[in-house]
Amino acid sequence: MTVLIVDDHPSFRASARTLLESEGYEVVGEAENGADAVKAAQELHPDLVLLDVQLPDIDGFQVAEQLCRLDDPPAVVLTSSRDRADYGPCINVCGACGFVPKADLSGAAIAALLVA
Amino acid sequence: MTLAWRPWLYFGPAALIAGGLAVALTATSDHEQHPEQAIALVLFVSWSFILAGLIGWTRRPQNRTGMLMVAVGFGVLIAVLGEANHPVPYTLGALFGSLFIAAFVHLLLAYPSGRLLSRRARVLVGAGYTVAFLAPLAESMFAARETCKPHACPDNLVLVSHDHAAHVVTTTIWTAVSVVLFAAVVMLLLGRWRETTPGLRRILRSVYLFGGLSIVLLAIGFVITPFSGVGAIIVSVALIATFTTVPFIFLAGLLGTAIARGAGVGAIFSSVPERASPGEVQEGLRGALRDETAVVAYWYEEDEHYVDVEGNRFDLPEDTLRRVVTRLDYGDQPVAAIVHDAALLQEPELLEGVANAARIALERDKLLVEVRARAQRYRALLQAMPDLMFRISRDGRYISYNAPSARDLVDGEVVGKSLWDRLPTELADLVLESGRAALSGDPGVIEYHLDFEDGSTRHYEGRFAASGDDEFLMIVREITERKQQQEELEASRQRIVAAGDAARRKLERNLHDGAQQRLVSLSLSLRLAQNQVAKSPERAEELLEASREELMQALEELRELARGIHPAVLTDRGLEAALDALAGRAALPVEVDCIPDIELPPPVEAAAYYVVSEALANITKYAGASAVKVSIGQVNGYALVEVADDGVGGADPARGSGLSGLSDRVASLNGKLVIDSPPGAGTRIRAEIPLE
Repeated sequence: MTVLIVDDHPSFRASARTLLESEGYEVVGEAENGADAVKAAQELHPDLVLLDVQLPDIDGFQVAEQLCRLDDPPAVVLTSSRDRADYGPCINVCGACGFVPKADLSGAAIAALLVA
Repeated sequence: MTLAWRPWLYFGPAALIAGGLAVALTATSDHEQHPEQAIALVLFVSWSFILAGLIGWTRRPQNRTGMLMVAVGFGVLIAVLGEANHPVPYTLGALFGSLFIAAFVHLLLAYPSGRLLSRRARVLVGAGYTVAFLAPLAESMFAARETCKPHACPDNLVLVSHDHAAHVVTTTIWTAVSVVLFAAVVMLLLGRWRETTPGLRRILRSVYLFGGLSIVLLAIGFVITPFSGVGAIIVSVALIATFTTVPFIFLAGLLGTAIARGAGVGAIFSSVPERASPGEVQEGLRGALRDETAVVAYWYEEDEHYVDVEGNRFDLPEDTLRRVVTRLDYGDQPVAAIVHDAALLQEPELLEGVANAARIALERDKLLVEVRARAQRYRALLQAMPDLMFRISRDGRYISYNAPSARDLVDGEVVGKSLWDRLPTELADLVLESGRAALSGDPGVIEYHLDFEDGSTRHYEGRFAASGDDEFLMIVREITERKQQQEELEASRQRIVAAGDAARRKLERNLHDGAQQRLVSLSLSLRLAQNQVAKSPERAEELLEASREELMQALEELRELARGIHPAVLTDRGLEAALDALAGRAALPVEVDCIPDIELPPPVEAAAYYVVSEALANITKYAGASAVKVSIGQVNGYALVEVADDGVGGADPARGSGLSGLSDRVASLNGKLVIDSPPGAGTRIRAEIPLE
C-alpha cells in the first residue's frame, strides 16, 4: 500500500516513514504543508494519505476535503499529537477515514481504520 | 420704691427743723448785720442742696451723689451756728462751719458716681476734711481782736491769744494750705476732663464748670479777703452765684435724664422706620443714647456667639472704664447687646428706657441678622468650593454662578443666558431634565464632556439640587483626570488579559511544537525498537539510543517552558537566588546588587523578577551592551528595581510589547515603570512598586 506523509515536523515524518515501512507500507512521498500535500497526491496517486491536522497554511480538515474531491481520491487518515476529543465532529465530516493519535501510530492502527 | 423714699423720711423733716433753727439763730443773733439776707441765703443754699440731693438719692439709690449733696446742704446749716449768741454753739459754728466746703469738694471729685474712684481723689478729700477742721481751729485759737458787728462776738471757747503776729502766721499758713489744696482739686478735675469719653464729658460739663469755678473763687476769696474788703465782697457775690447754681445743675441733670428717657424712647420709634434694617436700628439707638460709637450686637443662637448688624461674628469686649456692654436678655436667653460709652451707666434710666424700647426691634432684627449670618456662611462655603456652581431657573435660564476657575466656562457670559445659548442642545436638554427632576425631589448626577476652543476635551460630573421652588443648583466638578485614569486602567486591564491570552497561546504552541513532538517521536522510536528487538537487536539498540537523546531534549525543553511559566527558583529560594540564576544564564556579564534576605510580597517579587528577566532579554537582543547592573532596594514602603546597561540606548516602550507588558504588570500593583534611555547613553529601567 502506498502512503503520502503530510506533516510540518521533519522528525515526525522521518519516524513515521521508518515505522510504516517496517510494517510493510510503501512511503511514496512526504509533504510539509497543505498545498504541497494536494499537489503531491495528484502526482503520486497514493492509496493512503497520513495527514497532520495542524499545518502551517491550511488545516488538515480542509486538505482532507480537497483530497476527497480528487478524481482518484486516496484514503485519508488524520493524525495529531493532540487527542481526538480536541477536534470533536470535524474528523467525521471532512471525508477522512479516521484519526490516529501520533503516539499510537502503527501499521495495524491504520489498517484497522481502512477496514472499517 | 418704699426703700427709695426713706431718705425723705429722715432728712426732709431734719432739713425743715434745722432750717427753722437756723432762722431762729440768725434772727436773734446780736452780731449779724443783715439777718434777713443771711437767712434767705442760708435757707436757699442749704435747702437747694438738700432737695436736689434727696431727689437724686431717691432716683438712684446706688449713686451716692445725692447723699453727698444732702451732706453739703446740712454742712451749710451747721455753719449757721456761728450766728448763735451763746459761746458754745458759736464756737462749734466757727470750728465746723467750713466742713461743707470739704463736703462740696468731696461731691465734685466723686461726681458722677458719688464714689471716689482714684487714690488721689481719696487723699485730696481726706486732706480737705482735715483742713476744713484744722484751719478754723487754728484761726479760732489765734483769732483777730473783735471782728463782729454790731455787737461783740460771743466768747470764743478755744481762744489761746489775740496775739496779732500769731494770728497772721496761722492765717497765712492755713490760707496757703487751702489754696494749694484747691489748686490740686482743680488740677485733678482738669486732668479728668481731658481723659474722659465724649459721653461722660456731656454729663460732667456743667457740674465741673460751676463746681470748679466755685472752688477757684473760694481760693481767690481766701487770698484776697485779708487785703481788700471790696474785692472780698465781689468774690463773695460771684461765689454765692456759682455755688447756689450747683444744686440746680444737678437737678437739671437728673430731670434732663428723665426728659431724655422719654425723648430717647420716642426717638427710636419716631425717627426709625417701622421696618428698619438692623443698621438703621443701630443708628436710631446711637441717636437716642447720644453715643455715636454705640454698637448693637445680636445673639446668634446657631453658633452661640454674637454677630454685628452685618451678620459678621462679633465678640463682646470686656468692660473698661470707657466702654461697657449692656446685655439685653430674655430670661436666661441672650437676645442682643449694646456696647456703649461707660458714661451711659450714669444715666441708667436713659439706658434702660432705650434698651427696653429697642428690645422689640432688636428681637425682630435678630432673626434677620441670623438669616444674614447663615447666608454669609453659605456664601463663604460656596465660594470655597472647588466646583463650578450654577443657579438655573426652571425654564433653563442662568440666575447666577460661581466659577473658581474661568477655564471651565465655555462662555464667559453666563447670567441671563439660557442653557441652549451656552451648551450643546442635547446637553442643555439633559441639564434641564435633571434640574426639573431635582425640583420634584429626585436629585441626580450626570456625566458629560465639553469640547473647548483650544481643542481640549474635558469631562464633567454635574449634580443637581433644588434651591427654591422655581430654581435649582447645578454643581459641576471636572472629572477629566478621573476619566483618563479610568480609561488608562481599562486599557491596561485589556492589555493584561490580552498578554495572558498571548502567553498561553505561545505556551501551547511551544509545548505542541517542542516537547510534544519530541515525545511523539520518542513513542514512535520505541515502537520501532520494540519491533526490531527480535529481528535486529543492533538496530533496536540504535533506536533506543536515539530515543534517549530525544527524551533528554524533550526534558530540557519542558524545563525551559516551566521556567517561562514561573521560575521555580524564585518560589524555592527567593528573589536573590532567582536573579543570580538569571544573571548566570545571561549572555553578558550581569552584576546583581540585592539587599540580602530581602522579603517582598510574592506578587511584587514576581514583578521584580520579570522586570529584570524582560530587561535582560531586551538588552541581549537590542542594546549592544557590554555589562548590566541590576539593583533591588526597598525605600519608604516601595520596592525599587533598576536595570541599567551601557548599551546604545534609545529604547522605546511603544516598539516592543515586552516593555509595555512590564509596565502593565507593574501598574497592576499600583507601581510605575520609568524608562530612561537617551540615545547613545545606555538604558535605565526603573520600577517602583508599593509593598502594600
